[in-house]
Amino acid sequence: MKKLLIIVALLSGMSLMADEVEPADTINGVQVWADACMRCHNLREPAVLSKRAWKYSMQHMRIRAGLTGKETRDVLAFILESKTDGDAK
Amino acid sequence: MNKIILSIGLSSLLTTMLVASEKDDAIIAQLLQDVAVLNSMKADLEGNAMSGFQLAGYASFDFVAPDGGDAEFSGVKFAPIFHYQYGDIFQFEGELEFEIDANGETVTALEYAAGTIFLNDYMGLQIGQFMSPIGQFVQNIHPSWINKLPSTPVGFGHDGAAPTSNVGMALRGGLPKMGNLRSNYVVFVANAPRYGKAADGDIIIDATGKTSSGGASQLLGARYALNPIGGMEIGISGGVGEAFDDTNTSGTSANVFRDYSAMGVDFMYNNNGLDIKAEYIQQKIGENSLATTSLKGGTWTAFYAQVAYQINSLNLEPVLRYSDYENPYVNNENIGNRKQQIAVGLNYLFANNLIAKFAYENDTNNNIDNANRVRAQLAFGF
Repeated sequence: MKKLLIIVALLSGMSLMADEVEPADTINGVQVWADACMRCHNLREPAVLSKRAWKYSMQHMRIRAGLTGKETRDVLAFILESKTDGDAK
Repeated sequence: MNKIILSIGLSSLLTTMLVASEKDDAIIAQLLQDVAVLNSMKADLEGNAMSGFQLAGYASFDFVAPDGGDAEFSGVKFAPIFHYQYGDIFQFEGELEFEIDANGETVTALEYAAGTIFLNDYMGLQIGQFMSPIGQFVQNIHPSWINKLPSTPVGFGHDGAAPTSNVGMALRGGLPKMGNLRSNYVVFVANAPRYGKAADGDIIIDATGKTSSGGASQLLGARYALNPIGGMEIGISGGVGEAFDDTNTSGTSANVFRDYSAMGVDFMYNNNGLDIKAEYIQQKIGENSLATTSLKGGTWTAFYAQVAYQINSLNLEPVLRYSDYENPYVNNENIGNRKQQIAVGLNYLFANNLIAKFAYENDTNNNIDNANRVRAQLAFGF
């Protein structure tokens, strides 16, 4: 029970941290994409998934790679900006 | 006269064709306009959706040829991963694993199934069954399209030294940058593991997530990882609690619990095609005078170090891995309680997520060289 209380205290304290939504930064996005993704696995190029699938994949990677919300939005913005009509095959 | 009639006829025909052509052009223009409107409506609808889902996952097919044994197609695995998302505030992720065993039966397992509520930019509250945050291989490297060799390092599979999964809740996320230093964390509380016998008689710590602790104290654990430079991560993790003693088979009604702890240190670095990974992990079971078995407890340890290099111009990737696993109790005396393995591999990348792997493995059990094999695997992530 004490452990649960510790968790709840941490939760309450940290959720008070300021959470302003800044505009996505694609320059930071490409840096995080190159640094964080390749630590574990080969790069998945923007062309590999649809725009919609990337949205879900990036939230999944936020959990797995320990990304902040801002970093997740930055990487997603870079990926979506990098997609072209030639991606469809 | 005939020429006049012919001229009138031809001009009437041409006029009719011109009018028809203009009508066709108008119809085509209208159709194109309609398609554009429909496309924009579709885009709007997609953009307005608060929730949606995605099917991802991986699959692999294995072949093994043991030295002195029969070569066979040894594995078929299909692991779909389901993602459901509600806005930017919630995501559920669940992975199933389907495998075919030696008898042709399909073996299924729920690897993880957890929902995460994103409380702010730096914290998500995860509830359910999640991959163990102790160490790195189990939670992030185990999918066959990510693992650079066809097999897991010794001691990092199920019932080894590395915990597999937890049922409980976790707080996790990335922390604000300190200068150029990025870092991330996980703090979790989960049901207790079990100390017991595997099907082959080995004494193991069953650290797969369960929906009951059997009365044992829950496990409290954490992992903290630093990214000192791009492409590098150094993580340290640990957990303490109790394990339910499943070896206590004397018939007494009292449950017996033992002290339990886990610890991991992991390192990853990737730069210009060079990939280095290393991890040490241990789980420890304490003694309990109330236990009716002669098992005193002990420490299960595993370590691996791996180097790979991608030659992009050839789509090739040579890999070298050393792994070492020690189990204080092993049922088979011929195997012994320490296993070391050297694996050398060569991968061909059809694409970054479609990989053919070839490897040679040499096992040494208690310092006796006694098992070699060739493995091949086709793995892909989707």
